[in-house]
Amino acid sequence: MKRTLHVAGVLLAAGGLLATSACGGSSGNESGGKTTVTVMTWESNATNQLIDKALAGFHDPDITVKRIDTPNGNYSDKLASLTQAKKLPDLFWCGNDTELQYSGQGLLTDWSGKLSGSGDFTADSFAPNVMENWKTADGKIGGVPSLMNTYGIWYDIDAFKAAGIPLPAAGWTWDDMYAAADKLHKKGAKYGLVADAMTALDGPFSASLYSLSAGGKPFADSVHQPTKATIDATYTEGVGKLVAGIKSGAVAPPGYDISNQQSLFAAGEIPMLWSGQWLASAYLTDKPKIKYGFAPLPQVDKAATLYDAVGICTPSYTKNADATFKVLSYLDSTVWTKVLPDSPVAVPAYTAAQDAYYNALDKAELTTVAATVKADLDAPLTMGVRFTTQWASQSNDLITAYWPDILNGKKPLSDLQTMTDKINDVIKSNG
Amino acid sequence: MTATPHQQSNRPPHPPPNPAPHASPSWSARSPWRRRGKLGSDTRAAYAFMAPALIGFTVFVVYPLIRSVYFALTRYNGLTAPTFVGLDNFRRMFTTDPSFWPSVRATLLLVVLYVPASLVIGLALAVFCNRRIRGVRLLRTLVYLPVVLPVVATITLWKFVFNPQVGLANQVLTWLHLPTSEWLSGEGSALPSIVIVMLWSVGSTMIIFLAALQAVPTELYEAAKLDGAGSGTVFFRITLPLISPIMVLQVVLQLVTALQTFNQPKILSPDNIGGPGFSTRVLMLSIYNNGFPKLGQVADFGYASAQVWVLFLVIVVVIAATARFSSIWTYSDHVS
Repeated sequence: MKRTLHVAGVLLAAGGLLATSACGGSSGNESGGKTTVTVMTWESNATNQLIDKALAGFHDPDITVKRIDTPNGNYSDKLASLTQAKKLPDLFWCGNDTELQYSGQGLLTDWSGKLSGSGDFTADSFAPNVMENWKTADGKIGGVPSLMNTYGIWYDIDAFKAAGIPLPAAGWTWDDMYAAADKLHKKGAKYGLVADAMTALDGPFSASLYSLSAGGKPFADSVHQPTKATIDATYTEGVGKLVAGIKSGAVAPPGYDISNQQSLFAAGEIPMLWSGQWLASAYLTDKPKIKYGFAPLPQVDKAATLYDAVGICTPSYTKNADATFKVLSYLDSTVWTKVLPDSPVAVPAYTAAQDAYYNALDKAELTTVAATVKADLDAPLTMGVRFTTQWASQSNDLITAYWPDILNGKKPLSDLQTMTDKINDVIKSNG
Repeated sequence: MTATPHQQSNRPPHPPPNPAPHASPSWSARSPWRRRGKLGSDTRAAYAFMAPALIGFTVFVVYPLIRSVYFALTRYNGLTAPTFVGLDNFRRMFTTDPSFWPSVRATLLLVVLYVPASLVIGLALAVFCNRRIRGVRLLRTLVYLPVVLPVVATITLWKFVFNPQVGLANQVLTWLHLPTSEWLSGEGSALPSIVIVMLWSVGSTMIIFLAALQAVPTELYEAAKLDGAGSGTVFFRITLPLISPIMVLQVVLQLVTALQTFNQPKILSPDNIGGPGFSTRVLMLSIYNNGFPKLGQVADFGYASAQVWVLFLVIVVVIAATARFSSIWTYSDHVS
């Protein structure tokens, strides 16, 4: 009996250890002397399979790469628990906000030294300005950007032709967009434009594009290290036009259910949809019923667009930083060139890998998507999509309290200033 | 060693009521634990069997509870060491947090909508299912079925039903030539929609009421029938008073369920944070959002812990008030 209990205890302990090790953990040495570098992504099964195939092409006699399976649905929960347990894998997919916050807490390996060296994989080999947004105030770079999200307006070509509206193209104005939305609505569309980016929590940042483009001030002076939020006359003018669009039914109001907006657009139910370039990849698999195009976001005078890049981070406790950096550079450069031809989800931040993305779009004859992504990357004025700060949830609650009611006309436009004052209080109280 | 007469005379005739841990061997030897040899081993076995549950309860309930009191007084993100901030989290909750009072409002509104509806519907179904009619067993099974189905699966199913553009709910309303609703997308309709989803699992309430109804002595019904009482009189004068203790239990259970609602607003709201606006941001969801925020945001465990204690106090007050006033309307056959 005693022996049975002893054996059971050993088995339980071993099982516990196995379970723990399966949850993540950073690099370590295998018995054969090889270093194992672990990778965790938030990608779908299909993209993960492509990544696995591409990673099989990584050959280093001293390094083994192991991808940890993570359901993409609960990535944030998994990341939070692994962070607290100090069991993050050597390389994990992260947003710009996560990278900056974790770097600020000293939780990530600082790659600034390696990226400032010479060679093919340095800060200079990335798209202009991208790396700047990944630096903390004191110059640390806890992760490397991998893919860049760009934003624009997806449009239904036949709906535009039927309404006698010229197709959206680079240089079209905000007034053009609202007028088109109004006509499409009057022609029978429930809403001419669905723009969750304008009506949800990120709305105040997206609305900045109007004032930026008109020579005014953006909502926040920086999304990474903000010191002040501002509402000026041009900003208020832009929001006023959005409010009028919602009131007339041309634009979908706050709270509009966006869970199936992608398929509604593909089915011809939504004639104009504000979204990102990533829909192109989905539409290559599930062909829409409609002929569609993708145009840059509208402007007043100068082109202005939203900026958002995701990347790959490394915890500070990685056991073999050199091996991890080798795999990181392979992921950012070579892996995307092999994955993107089959799944052109976004343009790589590493410039030498960008051709793979554009070639895939050209091959699929998605010329408007390629042109809009290029135009976005070249836009002189950019704005982050949301605060990346630790107190972002506090400002989000303030936005929730004011923004939808202002857009729905339940609160006056003057309450934009009240909302901004309260956000400035949060900025001040958090130093 | 033998005790001296003097020592024997000083020994207390009975064991002290609260012996100190370092009680003398003479007292220890006389303890019930030692004296009842066989019973002692049974007791030890009982404790051994209880140990896993006790350890689990201590580690996963008692310790986190105590720890959360400490966290409630700190600023703590789970990544770096907590900083003591005194009552700042509570001050922020009651004065500057724009989501706290809307969360309280949403929680109380949920209670007001859900508790009476679940009791009335649960009782009505129980009364119906208590009748001897053909197919009643199948009906009971069907009503109880949603309770045994995976919660997340059924809630997700409702998300499709309530889709304002292509959902079944609006399609049915259209067929019936009734106005459609925005359901979960409307600030005014989101919370009632969530109550409808919660009422989908009213089978558990029905089962308890059914058991209570079947415990009512049939002689009372027979006597009432002989006296010519109508069905309404029988229900309000016999059935309802006799099941009133169960009704109190149900009120308490449903109050706790409503105050701790989490799954439905979490799964059904846009961005899973409760909305549109704050319409479905109930307190439990607010606590979760602060403790386990969206990707890219850092946890605020200190503030979440403070909210936990406020919710706990609200639950205690509500339950205590219910228990205090339940005697007024609970039937008792004790003769005073």
